Amino acid sequence: MNLKVADFFIGTFAGGTVALVVYLALSSQSNMFLTMVAGGLIGMALVLPLKILLMPFFGAFEVVIPLGIIGMGVGMTTGMLSTLPDISGYVVIAWGDLIGFIVAGIIYFSNQRYTTQ
Amino acid sequence: MTAKSYDGVARVFDLLRAGDMRRWEPAQQTLFKNLKGRILYVGIGTGQEIVNFPPGLDITAIDMSYEMLKRSGPRVQNYNGDIHRSQMDAQTTGFRDNTFDTVLTVCVLCSVKHPVNCLQELKRVLKPDGELVMFEHVLSKNPIYGFILKFMSYMTEYLEGTYLDRNTVENAEAAGFKIHSHKNVYLDIVKALRAKPPE
Repeated sequence: MNLKVADFFIGTFAGGTVALVVYLALSSQSNMFLTMVAGGLIGMALVLPLKILLMPFFGAFEVVIPLGIIGMGVGMTTGMLSTLPDISGYVVIAWGDLIGFIVAGIIYFSNQRYTTQ
Repeated sequence: MTAKSYDGVARVFDLLRAGDMRRWEPAQQTLFKNLKGRILYVGIGTGQEIVNFPPGLDITAIDMSYEMLKRSGPRVQNYNGDIHRSQMDAQTTGFRDNTFDTVLTVCVLCSVKHPVNCLQELKRVLKPDGELVMFEHVLSKNPIYGFILKFMSYMTEYLEGTYLDRNTVENAEAAGFKIHSHKNVYLDIVKALRAKPPE
């Protein structure tokens, strides 16, 4: 698989995975601030084994940088989303996927800018 | 990290670096076109970069780990040129002053304990009109990327003795080199650099 395409899959997959775990862990909570903090911590912890698993196949920095952002960002936002009443788990996971994809896109364009300087 | 620690990592080194090698192949091939004359290749590891060398080079390769050097054997034998290997620490090589026309480092300055001392040693063995060619990762100037690298550096330092927060460009200048070619390979983290000793 083209590695640049793989970067978007990795971002989307990591975002969805973090969102799912955070939703399962925190959906019964109601304090939005605490779930945001806890979600960020869960996300950061969760992406560590993901990084180790993916680095040998897709490159160290190309995995470490996006997953570092996705872990904290998706974890915090899905932590807050999970406290909303009647929100579906599918919506939360889709949110995580979307954020993961956007982060991969931002890093792609950021890389274009740095490497053509 | 000691030679013994690198001996331990040698078994899984190819696997750990497989993704990086796929990513870096084109950039390394472009950078390595600049290798000429008598070359010192610092930190050969298991020799993964050898496939990206142009043919016909005269290379002296060093590494502090015996296991790494042993595992580089098949790649050295397959190379269409001369590669002589020695077990040596990059910070205290046994070469005479002004021995090499080119010194090459690939992800070495992130691992040595005292990078500026190491670069000064490399400057000593490099001829005054020679060139230092570096393919290295450094700390990003972007605050978000930099924060992630500093955070991860605690882990990589412990696991494989690699620092992700090195300022290699500044270190090279502190050691007395003048960077004359500076290309980003991935973000502002992985860089292809060429430097010369001061005239």
